[in-house]
Amino acid sequence: MTSSATDPEALDGFGAVSLGEPTKRAWGLRRRIMLIFTMGALMLSLFLAFITYGFTRTSVVQQRDNDARAAARRNASIVVEALRGSPATAQPAMTRLEDLGVQRPLVWYNELWTPGRAGYDQNQLPQALVDRVIADGVASRMIVNVENEPNIVVGYQLATSDAAYFEFFSLDEVDNTLQSVRLSLVLGGMITTALAVLAGSFAARRAVRPVGVAAQAAKAIAGGRLDTRLEPTEDPDLSVLANSFNDMATALQSRIERDARFASDVSHELRSPLMTLSASVEVMDARRDEMPERAQAALDLLKGDVVRFQGLVEDLLEISRFDAGAVRLHMEELIAAEFVRQAVGVSSMPQTPIVVSPRAEMVLINGDRRRLARVVANLIDNARLHGGGSPEISITEVDPPDQPVSAIRIAVEDHGTGVPESERGLIFERFARGGVAGRRASSDGAGLGLALVDEHVRMHGGRVWIEDRLDGEPGARFVIELPAEELDE
Amino acid sequence: MWVGTRILAVEDDERIRSAVKLALEDEGWTVDEAGSGEEAIELFNIITPDVVLIDIMLPGIDGFELCRTIRRTSDVPVVMVTARNDTHDIVAGLEAGADDYLTKPFAAKELSARIRALLRRIRPSSPSHARLVFGDLELIPEEGKVLQSGHEVHLTKTEFRLLCELAENPGKVFSREALLDKVWGYDYFGDGRLVDVHVRRLRTKVEQDPANPRHVVTVRGLGYRLQT
Repeated sequence: MTSSATDPEALDGFGAVSLGEPTKRAWGLRRRIMLIFTMGALMLSLFLAFITYGFTRTSVVQQRDNDARAAARRNASIVVEALRGSPATAQPAMTRLEDLGVQRPLVWYNELWTPGRAGYDQNQLPQALVDRVIADGVASRMIVNVENEPNIVVGYQLATSDAAYFEFFSLDEVDNTLQSVRLSLVLGGMITTALAVLAGSFAARRAVRPVGVAAQAAKAIAGGRLDTRLEPTEDPDLSVLANSFNDMATALQSRIERDARFASDVSHELRSPLMTLSASVEVMDARRDEMPERAQAALDLLKGDVVRFQGLVEDLLEISRFDAGAVRLHMEELIAAEFVRQAVGVSSMPQTPIVVSPRAEMVLINGDRRRLARVVANLIDNARLHGGGSPEISITEVDPPDQPVSAIRIAVEDHGTGVPESERGLIFERFARGGVAGRRASSDGAGLGLALVDEHVRMHGGRVWIEDRLDGEPGARFVIELPAEELDE
Repeated sequence: MWVGTRILAVEDDERIRSAVKLALEDEGWTVDEAGSGEEAIELFNIITPDVVLIDIMLPGIDGFELCRTIRRTSDVPVVMVTARNDTHDIVAGLEAGADDYLTKPFAAKELSARIRALLRRIRPSSPSHARLVFGDLELIPEEGKVLQSGHEVHLTKTEFRLLCELAENPGKVFSREALLDKVWGYDYFGDGRLVDVHVRRLRTKVEQDPANPRHVVTVRGLGYRLQT
């Protein structure tokens, strides 16, 4: 029904090309790109966070450890000095330390433990550390939990006598530091991931945009604008798509145009001999009365077929214009009823009765006067040739009385055998074949007349169809529906 | 009235030429034939035809060129014949100076009707309108003269008739259909491009600035009117 080149059959030989593995639940390209971005950013920030945390933790703890050892050693020498001054008990040494602000000291002296005011005593020391420092005489350190607080305990044996010095250092500060590092890493990771989502959706949109542009161009071409092309691009990846798309469009356009030009050239070439034929027939017809009866009959046949041939060539030309997308409607506002009367007046049956409903009298249609006149003429020709002659035309509005007129129907009813329901769509095909043509075509070929009616009406935003006569008599009713509006006043 | 009216038919296809000559002679015209543009120019100066019929597709000098050549010296009505009813050919033919066009194959009766319309005499205006003045534009229908700022401008017969129709009722808007009917004798289904191209040609002659016409004015969606 549409142009042959856009028929699916006409494009056979081109298989469908799969654009990716078929999946059960197809993920759009955009969603996939976004997901990749998000996952990538998430993994990367997790990885970086772990590394950063690991390094920070090691270095902060090490720093604290060094400080603790240095402080403990210093304090131990103070204890040694104090013990030397008052060897009776460790209490003076302890007092001395606390005066200096040492917070969590613990001294072992002469088998006695002397804790500081903070109350960190031998009960909090693991036995292993005590053994290592006091029994083995090795300076050691260890991390212990005191009242849910991590502490590093450093122990030194004091060289002078039977004594050892222990000191607890809180790791709370380190813990706090690490906690804020963790917090900032988590925050940083979240921000990075969120940015990745944004960047991903932006990238996805950018990546998909050429696809959208190509889809629009393809739609435009399918809609008949054959000269649509994609803009050339610098992007080497996209230029492959753009170039092959444009190559395809060019090939398609030249193929369609070649077909259309051929039909158009054929029609033009046929016009020259037709000119000679029709002029000669006219000359003979002027002398018809001087001819013998048999020659007259032959002349009438000749005359009739020259007209028919002429009509076919015109129709072929108009159809080829449709195929080439070269039809430009010359739109005018027409008073529907007046227009139909004029069109019928110049048709092959100018006496055809026309019934117009009162409202339809004052209705405007927007259309190409000459092309719509062809539509009316073709429908009348169809009724004359295949519908038993003497058709009737009616013009009615579509809309109920309480609503403004939005469309009108121009119906041509004939007295033929009617059109079986199964053939009602086929009859608008070009050179309709099969049962339709066999019965209806008789001497006059089915031709292009009704195919043109269909094309023209559709270009005017209307539609055409066939139904039974409204009065139930045998015969067909061809209906054109066109958008219309009421004439003001 | 038409007896002895000479038509010069320029057509390179001999068979078409012969058939058209026969058919036109049946209609009562006297027909001279030319097979090429060159031949037509030669013949034109000898026989001074009343109407020239030109096929656009000619070898050598083509129909457009021939039409322009004739227009340089004569306002004889010219009918273009084209095998292509493409807008381009038709508008180009009219702009080259043709008064009307037909597409092949045409009936001799149709062509005769067109020729009669082109040759029809201008309806004489009432005597009081012997001289019509529209600003710097002056029209003398009786003498077939048009003056622009006092200088005579040369119009073809069709252009002159178009101007006279508009001048018949200054200020009134004439639709394309009305002008087609009055000037070219077409019914409801004439070609509006005939009017448009002729108005364009008319403007280049009677307007001081054809791009901003002051006399022959377009009324959008309705048609044309003449204003002072």
